[in-house]
Amino acid sequence: MSDLRTAIERTAIERAAPRRKRWPWVAGAVAVLLVAGGGFALTRGDASTGRAATTGAPVRGGTLQFALIDYQRSPDPHWGTNYAESLIGNNITDKLTWQDPDTGEITPWLAESWEYNEDLTEFTFHLRKDVTFSDGSPFDSQVVKANFDQYVHGDEKLGINPNGAILLPDYIETLTPDRYTAVVRFEKPLASFLQASSFTANAQPGFLSLSTLKLSAQERTDPTKVIGTGPFVYESWQPQVKTVLVKRKGYNWAPPALKHKGEAYLDRIVFNTIPEASVRTGSLTSGAVDATLDVGTTDEKPLADQGFKIIYRGVSGTSIFFNLNSQLFPTDDIAVRRAIQLGWDRETIKKTVLTDSYSVATSVLAPSVPGYVDYSGTVLRYDPEEAGRLLDEAGWKEGPDGVRVKDGRKLVVELLGISNLVANKPAYESIQQDLKKIGIDLRLTVVPIPDYTALLTKAKTDWNIVAANRSRNDPAVLNLQYGPALGNGSFVTEDSPGIDVDEVTRTLEALELTLDPATRKRYAKAAQDLLLDKYALVNPVYNPSQVIAHADYVHGIVFDAQSRNHFVDTWKSNGK
Amino acid sequence: MLRYLALKIGRALFVVWAAFTLTFVLLFVLPADPVDLLFDPAEVNSVPPEVRAQVAASYGFDRPVILQYLTRLGHALTGDFGTSVQSGRPVVATILDVLPSTLLLAAGALALALVIAFVIALAATSARRPWVRDLVEALPSGAVSVPVFLSGILMLQIFSFRLGWFPAFGDEGARSLVLPLITLAIPVSGPIAQLLVRSFATEFRSGYVTTSWAKGATRGGIVVRDVFRNASLPALTIAGITFGNLIAGSVITETVFARQGVGRMTQAAINTLDVPLVQGTVVLVAVGFALINLIVDLIYPLLDPRLRAALATG
Repeated sequence: MSDLRTAIERTAIERAAPRRKRWPWVAGAVAVLLVAGGGFALTRGDASTGRAATTGAPVRGGTLQFALIDYQRSPDPHWGTNYAESLIGNNITDKLTWQDPDTGEITPWLAESWEYNEDLTEFTFHLRKDVTFSDGSPFDSQVVKANFDQYVHGDEKLGINPNGAILLPDYIETLTPDRYTAVVRFEKPLASFLQASSFTANAQPGFLSLSTLKLSAQERTDPTKVIGTGPFVYESWQPQVKTVLVKRKGYNWAPPALKHKGEAYLDRIVFNTIPEASVRTGSLTSGAVDATLDVGTTDEKPLADQGFKIIYRGVSGTSIFFNLNSQLFPTDDIAVRRAIQLGWDRETIKKTVLTDSYSVATSVLAPSVPGYVDYSGTVLRYDPEEAGRLLDEAGWKEGPDGVRVKDGRKLVVELLGISNLVANKPAYESIQQDLKKIGIDLRLTVVPIPDYTALLTKAKTDWNIVAANRSRNDPAVLNLQYGPALGNGSFVTEDSPGIDVDEVTRTLEALELTLDPATRKRYAKAAQDLLLDKYALVNPVYNPSQVIAHADYVHGIVFDAQSRNHFVDTWKSNGK
Repeated sequence: MLRYLALKIGRALFVVWAAFTLTFVLLFVLPADPVDLLFDPAEVNSVPPEVRAQVAASYGFDRPVILQYLTRLGHALTGDFGTSVQSGRPVVATILDVLPSTLLLAAGALALALVIAFVIALAATSARRPWVRDLVEALPSGAVSVPVFLSGILMLQIFSFRLGWFPAFGDEGARSLVLPLITLAIPVSGPIAQLLVRSFATEFRSGYVTTSWAKGATRGGIVVRDVFRNASLPALTIAGITFGNLIAGSVITETVFARQGVGRMTQAAINTLDVPLVQGTVVLVAVGFALINLIVDLIYPLLDPRLRAALATG
């Protein structure tokens, strides 16, 4: 459920890069032609800035041509480990609730209201009574029950995986006391379920019709059989190439917070899969597409200069983090962990690696997550002197090659990371340079996802740092990621010197025990204090963003709390 | 002759079986696990063990490897390659869906590559000035050296983004096929052209050509009437390599032009360790490869009287 792209296709291009250079003149000629080509593209783009932006009343009709890097493996939105699946799923299905992207507040959607028991093990949702699926069947509590049951447990006979088992741990059942009341029960307190009921990222709980739930995984690859209540319905799906959605007639239940009444403005959306970055931007500048997601960091400024609008939202959940292994030498030494937090210059990364739409991490939580606290002036500052002092104090002496040594062992820190986001490697390399100056030898292994997951199986014994991120716009993401009984990102066990395991467990689990905003905020601060300050288990690096570039005649693309897009309120001023 | 036939068919079957087995072994030797890749990388460590076990069992990944292999082989013999781990669709249907697109691209590119290769060979043979000939003969090496994605993106910049003549992505209609065809044909034409240039030159110096000269034939006449047919034969021998080039080139071409296709699908399947899908496509490609070599082996005796005679006596 994070926003880490598979970027399967991008790596293909990289791997295909030529190794032999037998014909330097060919390379030269090609370079010249490429520059010429780039020049063409620029001229073309300049012309497009002539289009005046029209604002005012939304125009109905038209087709939005949208480009993105990924494609759906299946039209089933419950299924899914990639961005295309969740993005498109959000526009054909609706959720029980809508999380306000600015405040983090959970607001009504298909559920008009809700309450929960004191233990936070039972959540009662009162459903809207006017909602129907695109096949005409009603949306009611039976539908909620059937969806959650299959979402969590899967269905082996139908080939459906337990897609929701991670989002809804310890789910017991859904009761249906009456047609429009659904009671969802859990074994343990799960405060974060309220946010999960609005979840729009990968493997999401969007509601499918009872007829769809009876279909096998194979039958669900026929998009016309995948029926939701959303503002759009499937028209066609061409794997690897495109998905076409058309407006749902009679739709009238957009999240009230969006203030959108009635049907979607657009008649049609075409999601075009374009793996190659230069082809996405070229298609935008030449007018073949109206908007594109997956804008590279180096493309943002040129596109903005040509008059295209750049919109973005930081990925919610955790920042891109360095999880520090608390029981493996040398990161089992808290002085080393603190030195890593203090030892790198945030300004350098900001200037050389990140664009305006990305930001340096100031906590393990992204700023959009309720309960986020800013640590930039304290724990997460650049202070190489202090870092050096801490290492000196802990007995790390400078070695002959500049790398510190203690008891005959070198201060070598092994990092495992994923190469999918363009900024990852340069950011880590910048940190590597800075840490070298204070005598820490940070070694980078930054690889594609399949290699990463393979190497991750030995994370506990082989890697001092695992660098990744996790997307979930709720502070309980910290419990999922670092809770010793759950993700245990920093491998906190009895073998971790100086760490009280029970304290970590208690502090993080507390996030699931209350929905009172003030208390939860306090618990969130306690969790961050513990992870960043008291035990220094995490070194947050930067906050990535979902970036869209669009033509100036496109309006109303919504980023939700999970930074996914909704097109119900989107319109084109040219109406085409 | 019968023995020759049996030998060649047996070899083709062996190649297909070996490809199937080798893929299976390679995919299982790799440290990554297809089940892990069904989950988000950041969540792999927090998947409850029973959930993981349930998913593994539903794909049969929990059974002993040798049993998995035998079952898959047995099913494969009946044409059933199972379902894709990533999509839940049957492998055969998934492949058949994208196969026409790749076939069209590959066939078109092959035709165009042959035209390019023959034009280069004829031009090199007909050229009277040595420097012109040298220049033309250098073209095939150039064609092979230009990476497919570079030439593809270059053509997109000019003909699609600048001039707007062809669509930049997708595969609808004949116009969307033009740029991918050219992109793929260029590197594929290289080896064929090189071989033709050499064999044209050899044939040009052979006895029957001298006879034609003596009879007063023109240079163009000799090239077209005498040399063309005999010199073309060796091109058949690299049909297998050509097929390989087409498949390899289609991966990149399909990616750059955002087309549907076997190449792009295989690459995605490998990156997600979608074992059934990878095996399905590898077998498909191996069958294609073996078939082409088999056909070449069978046609050759028909075209070359010397080989026919040898087979008859042997």
